[in-house]
Amino acid sequence: MSLVSIKKNIFKDYLLVLLALVFVGFCLFPIYIMITTSFKSEKDIFAWEHVWFFKPTIQSVYNAFFIFGGKSVASFILNSLITTFTSTLLAVLFGAMAAYGFSRYKFKGSKHIAFYILSTRFAPPVAFIIPIYLMVNFFNLLDTHFTLIIIYTSMNLSLSIWILRGYFNEIPIEIEEAAYIDGYTRVEIFWKVCIPLIKPGLITTAILCSIFSWNEFLFAVILTQRDASTIPVYLASFQDSMGLAWGEFMAVGAMAVMPILIFTIILQKHLVRGLTFGAIR
Amino acid sequence: MKNYSLRTSLYFILPALVIILAINIFPIIYAVWISFQNWSLAYVRPPQYTGFYNYEDALFFDDRFINAVFVSLKFVFLAVLIEFILGFSLAFLFNQKLKALNFLRVVSLTPIMVMPVVSGLIWFYMFNENFGVLTYLVTLLGFDKPGWLTDPDIALFSIVLADVWQWTPFVMLIFFAALQSLPEYVYEAAKMDGLNKIQIFFRITLPLLKPAIWIVLILRIIDSFKMLELILMMTKGGPGGYTEVLPWYLYTTGFITLDIGYGASMAVMMLILVTILSQFFVKKIEGKN
Repeated sequence: MSLVSIKKNIFKDYLLVLLALVFVGFCLFPIYIMITTSFKSEKDIFAWEHVWFFKPTIQSVYNAFFIFGGKSVASFILNSLITTFTSTLLAVLFGAMAAYGFSRYKFKGSKHIAFYILSTRFAPPVAFIIPIYLMVNFFNLLDTHFTLIIIYTSMNLSLSIWILRGYFNEIPIEIEEAAYIDGYTRVEIFWKVCIPLIKPGLITTAILCSIFSWNEFLFAVILTQRDASTIPVYLASFQDSMGLAWGEFMAVGAMAVMPILIFTIILQKHLVRGLTFGAIR
Repeated sequence: MKNYSLRTSLYFILPALVIILAINIFPIIYAVWISFQNWSLAYVRPPQYTGFYNYEDALFFDDRFINAVFVSLKFVFLAVLIEFILGFSLAFLFNQKLKALNFLRVVSLTPIMVMPVVSGLIWFYMFNENFGVLTYLVTLLGFDKPGWLTDPDIALFSIVLADVWQWTPFVMLIFFAALQSLPEYVYEAAKMDGLNKIQIFFRITLPLLKPAIWIVLILRIIDSFKMLELILMMTKGGPGGYTEVLPWYLYTTGFITLDIGYGASMAVMMLILVTILSQFFVKKIEGKN
């Protein structure tokens, strides 16, 4: 390779990295604004000329968690954690069972039922919300953890069944037959043979279910008032009076985003198959 | 193994089936029933059967509904188009074999995970006309202060910008994964056949990316069609209905004006549309598996 073409290649590499940096800058800028705003003084937050360099203060963070929302912020976070954790667990558990059933017993139309279940995932939540509200109200279950947990479980089940079915289909039937000959029962085969084999699938599914449940807003805002409300509801509830406390909102917002962000960046290689419903591996 | 009977698989399927029937299937049937009623929660009178009245009302007499449909279409078209072009090109960029790009690619996925309510919050702050950083930056470039969310000509584009920020990385991620899974030997064969770069792109890469293209298009169309949070946090459909997308109109009809019969009829129409789209999607991946 001649010197000129090496130089040309290096130049091209720099250009590519530069372009990528511009894109990453665009992606991170709003998050940078959120985090810096939560550490700014009120004067800097409302300054017309954007304050790039500032003396950080924890006043907003302190206000957000100890004065402003007081006890309620902690209880919203706790509600989010309870709802997300339980609904994810249930969606993965019931989803794995159903996926196994669909994968192992191919009755006429089993594939179509699986497709139909997947397509419920695409339905806009806003189209469900009126009947669901009336149902929940009828059973006197408004503002309970149970309601959100069961709804998120259901919304996630479609995805969970679909993804895990793909993983179960990849397990050769001979492995199960061998276990059967060794005297395992059906339930033992499921738990002790199949479940360990689809662990990556379970991780993928759990991540996606957690993202959905943690971030979900519409059902939470309609079906809870206070006792079972999650973080997005808290953030939206102050939307009308938002002119006042930007630092505090950004602090709560940052806190609401961080757990999922860290979690998924670490496990990002599991994401693609889930995000595309198993269409791309 | 002979005992893979219907009964045993039903035991495995049952818990999921019960939940899905109760929370997904039944509400759809219930929504259809509600949509045939004249039923408002604002009055204490029982629902009254009115047949297709709500549907006729929406389709032929409600300018707000027609407006919402068009605003939704405009939003979906603009957002998906921009996300597609950007995400597609960026996937090729990140597909170059460079160590630094690997790290940058992972970092750029961040917006996908941000809670939509929080995205709305951040962009609303950045769009503020008195102290928002974007307003400030634009005036530095010598422009007038734009009414990001108050100018009828701009408001929808501002929402599109926030949506593009959140979902371009998702499009990029899918195309990147698809590019990574393309078999190397095809390219070697193409080079041996003396195809140039442009021919390789159009004759080999593009056809091989077809499934990914479908997936991106349909997932993004369906998802942006449902988008509600950005509107709620930033414009509430304003100014003057210029950003009133269908989910937002449905939301206000159901839960602010409390006309649930009418709301349900719009919900059913929306469901029909999304079902058609998603069946299309399912066919595409069915073909692949």
